[in-house]
Amino acid sequence: MLNLQQWAYIHRYAIRDIRRSYKKLWVIALTLFISLLLLSLTFSVKQSLNDEIEANSKELLGGDIQIDSGIDPLSGDRIKQLSNLGQISETVNFFTMLSKPSGGAVFTDLRAVDGVYPLYGEAKTMPSDAWAAFRLEGELPVVLINENIQNQLQLSVGDELTIMSKIFVVGGVIVSVPDLTNSAAFGEFAIISKQAFDQFELTSAGSFLHYDYRLKTPQSSDYQSKIEDAQTLFANDENVRTKLPKDSAQSLGRLIDNFSNFLNLVAVSAMIIAGIGISNTLLSFINQRNTSIAIKKSLGFSSKTIQLIYFYEILIILLASSILAYLLGVLSPVLVSQLIPASFGLSLQPSFSLLGYANIAFIGLLVVLIFSIPSLYSIPFIKAASLFRNIFQPVSLHFSAKNIVYLLFLVTILVSYFVLQTQQQLLTLSYFLAFFASMLVFYGVAKCLIIILRHAPNLPNNAYKIASRNITSKKSLAPIITISLGIGLTLLLTLSFVSDNLKKEISGSIPDMAPDIFFVGVNKDEKEPLESFLSSLDAEAVTEFNPMVSASLVALNSVPFETLVSRDNRSRWLIQGDRRISWLDHPPKDNPIVEGQWWQDDSAEQMLVSLDSKNAKDLGIKIGDEITLSILGREVNGIVKNFRQVDYRTIGTNFAIMINSAFAQKLPYEYIGTFKSERSSDEVQSLVVAQFPTISAIRIDRILSKVSQMMNKIFIAVSAISLVVIVIGMIVIVSAVMVQTNQRKYNNLIYKILGVDFSTILKATTLEFVLIYLTLIIFSVGAASLASYIIIERIFIVGLQWSFDLGLTLMLTVSTGVVTFLFILLANRNMFSPAAYPLIRNE
Amino acid sequence: MKQSVIQFSDVRLSYGPSSNPVEVLKGVSFSLNSNEIISIVGPSGSGKTSIIMLAAGLEKATSGIININNQNITELGENALSAIRRKNIGIVFQSFYLIPNLSALENVLLSLEADQKYNGDEEAINLLTEFGLGHRIHHLPSELSGGEQQRVAIARALINKPSVILADEPTGNLDEATSENMTKLLFAYTRAQQTALVLVTHNNELARQCDRIIELKDGNIA
Repeated sequence: MLNLQQWAYIHRYAIRDIRRSYKKLWVIALTLFISLLLLSLTFSVKQSLNDEIEANSKELLGGDIQIDSGIDPLSGDRIKQLSNLGQISETVNFFTMLSKPSGGAVFTDLRAVDGVYPLYGEAKTMPSDAWAAFRLEGELPVVLINENIQNQLQLSVGDELTIMSKIFVVGGVIVSVPDLTNSAAFGEFAIISKQAFDQFELTSAGSFLHYDYRLKTPQSSDYQSKIEDAQTLFANDENVRTKLPKDSAQSLGRLIDNFSNFLNLVAVSAMIIAGIGISNTLLSFINQRNTSIAIKKSLGFSSKTIQLIYFYEILIILLASSILAYLLGVLSPVLVSQLIPASFGLSLQPSFSLLGYANIAFIGLLVVLIFSIPSLYSIPFIKAASLFRNIFQPVSLHFSAKNIVYLLFLVTILVSYFVLQTQQQLLTLSYFLAFFASMLVFYGVAKCLIIILRHAPNLPNNAYKIASRNITSKKSLAPIITISLGIGLTLLLTLSFVSDNLKKEISGSIPDMAPDIFFVGVNKDEKEPLESFLSSLDAEAVTEFNPMVSASLVALNSVPFETLVSRDNRSRWLIQGDRRISWLDHPPKDNPIVEGQWWQDDSAEQMLVSLDSKNAKDLGIKIGDEITLSILGREVNGIVKNFRQVDYRTIGTNFAIMINSAFAQKLPYEYIGTFKSERSSDEVQSLVVAQFPTISAIRIDRILSKVSQMMNKIFIAVSAISLVVIVIGMIVIVSAVMVQTNQRKYNNLIYKILGVDFSTILKATTLEFVLIYLTLIIFSVGAASLASYIIIERIFIVGLQWSFDLGLTLMLTVSTGVVTFLFILLANRNMFSPAAYPLIRNE
Repeated sequence: MKQSVIQFSDVRLSYGPSSNPVEVLKGVSFSLNSNEIISIVGPSGSGKTSIIMLAAGLEKATSGIININNQNITELGENALSAIRRKNIGIVFQSFYLIPNLSALENVLLSLEADQKYNGDEEAINLLTEFGLGHRIHHLPSELSGGEQQRVAIARALINKPSVILADEPTGNLDEATSENMTKLLFAYTRAQQTALVLVTHNNELARQCDRIIELKDGNIA
């Protein structure tokens, strides 16, 4: 054990050494700083978001408890019982068309609110007094719209809008509502009063209404008991779901966790690549110091003391980098807050915490330990006896059985630390396994190149000979270039391939197959007139109408789906809330049956069910199983008869769940329709909305364009983040090149003395990089293609088709290669004009 | 009675595979008393430097016994050998081997620091001043002449008051005049500190100034 004096000495020596050798240690500091900064940004923003959500959980829910009664309102008795517990607010949500009398319409998420909404927080509008004006009964009912509707229909305050044949006046623009909605931020969202809504006289059966009630208990009352009373009221009502503020925070927390998990993984990838740089820099630092180390040994310093001094230096660099990264990361929520749409109403605050710092410092320490052990353990192999012979052999990374056990232990801690912090544990673990496997593969790639070149025929070309010798030498740059750049490039290529394939589907294949307009909310008596009207607009148009009714999946063989299906299940969406189901006499043409048979014995007494085969597989449903559906609030048992292959790319009327026609005839239903023609969809939409004001006409091109825009933004952000890994890789490569500069200078000088000209040396350097990089991209492109193919064709449930884009591949690989090579040349600029004097002086 | 500082008994040293070893030392025996100055001479490859490396515990003998201050060091591990070097041995190399990013003073202090003596600044400054380097103590090795560098190296070897100084061609990289001054300095201080000195040299003139000469030939004492 070292005493305090010895520690003080190690501290003094390390500080002095850093001060005098910082030029050789900048790579360790810079790569650690960048990767820790990314990690710190992620942790800080995640923490701030969670704090904000936790602090505003009642506002986000809109009450102390939310009672979701689905498509039916609560009975008068229930409302009376609830009002005994506190103040109640009722809201009704549904989708409908908002149209301008002068033309133009949008499909909108419309919320009808009563006089006490919102119970918590406040709704913000432009102008600010619009909310108060909205409360007042005027000559015309008022509608508040969000910015998307305002921009699309070019509306101003005071303009008129038609909603289901009724005229409304625009009272203002919604900036934010406390209870967060996706539509308010990203889609079209409007608010009207409950009184105005009642004028529509809508029935649940035909309009897919969604009723929510929120309760605010009096402040002085026993909060917990009131909440329990409210829950007890609906405990046996399967059509009613209750939600508490913590549930609201949890579901948002999951979203945040998913995104921050991606950022964490990118950050740790960057950090592991930075670790390769640390290992390489530290080893070269040790090799540059081998004389000093030998001298220290000759004076009686033990290897352990020397190892401690160098490790302490790395710890000081880690401490400085992590403090700086943490401080910048902590301040980042202020910046991120500006980027979050105002409609979310979130204001992120920086929060300093020692635990937060300890978190990133601990991860940094693990990475530093993992990557410094093989370098530091090379120190015992530097012999003081070399001082007598003037011969110094460079040491290499040392992997003894003991070291490997240490490394495995530390890697296990690192991986577990990340895996245990996320809800997507399997995915995170798989990522780490794939990452480490990739490192091994890229190391193998470099070794393959070295073996191939060693056995390749000796070409009569000096540039090739020099390049080949450099690659096959003991100090070859091939392994570090392939590992450092390979992983980052593969990540970037994978994300770009996925993005490119999705964009192609959205802008190319899907619009070709998809209809132009969807019609929803078509009542039975409106179907025939609408079909005739559409036919009068374009006799050649393709129209299709299907009956539909709202239903939800309740149980499989009497076991509730909630208990059967995990949160990670990709078909979980099907069991969450109401879905639209349909029926046909014959199997749909574009939905071939892949298992089971279409029903021959169609009976009005027995419900028979047909399911999308992928959903059925994910949910563990088999042919012959009994499935319970809640249709319009009534639970019905049906037998699963067949599975269909549903191609959602057509964006046609594809139903995951279909039932037999004979049984369906007794249900109240409406129609959903599609329309595809050569006429402008904008024009058709306006004409239909004018003629049939209660029918919603949704333009597919507008939705696709919105999805495309959103995806572009997401992929630009994601690719930019993944670029960090490439940048770290480049820094590592540049540092690896720089530590070899002296050796290369010496070699080039010998070549120069022997008469090899500058252009040959430049050609050799270029050829060396091209050979390594070409080998790297063959594997990188292969791995990225495979990964993106699996994501597109296997993970996306909608059944997209993967395709390879050579242009995109060339653009990304060539640009990355050129930038990396330019950096290498810059780092190596002294190498091309070595001075002969130092060699002659034997310096 | 004079105490034996170094004692070699039938020491053998060979390199390479056991089937075809290169025998560097073939059973060397000698002893060195405290305050004694000996020179080891012989042609290149005769095993002179090997004796120094073995005495410093930087090389393991193939067989035989080496005692430093009556302690057998042939079976000791790296940590114990480091301790022997810290406390008993000072080494002076032909190529000086100062640490380039440490000043003259810091290089000298390094010997004390290796032995966990952290308050030796005054002692080191005094020694360097006595060596005529009082005005150069904060200079880096690259800012010193060859002679000055070697004086710093000798000061570094002496500062810890070792029992023996092992000097391998200490004047080999110096001109004649500097070489002579250096020898005087080394001899004077080892005598003054009652430190034994082993001097490996090709210089017969220098060897003759020692108390005793050990001549090596083909790994044996001639």
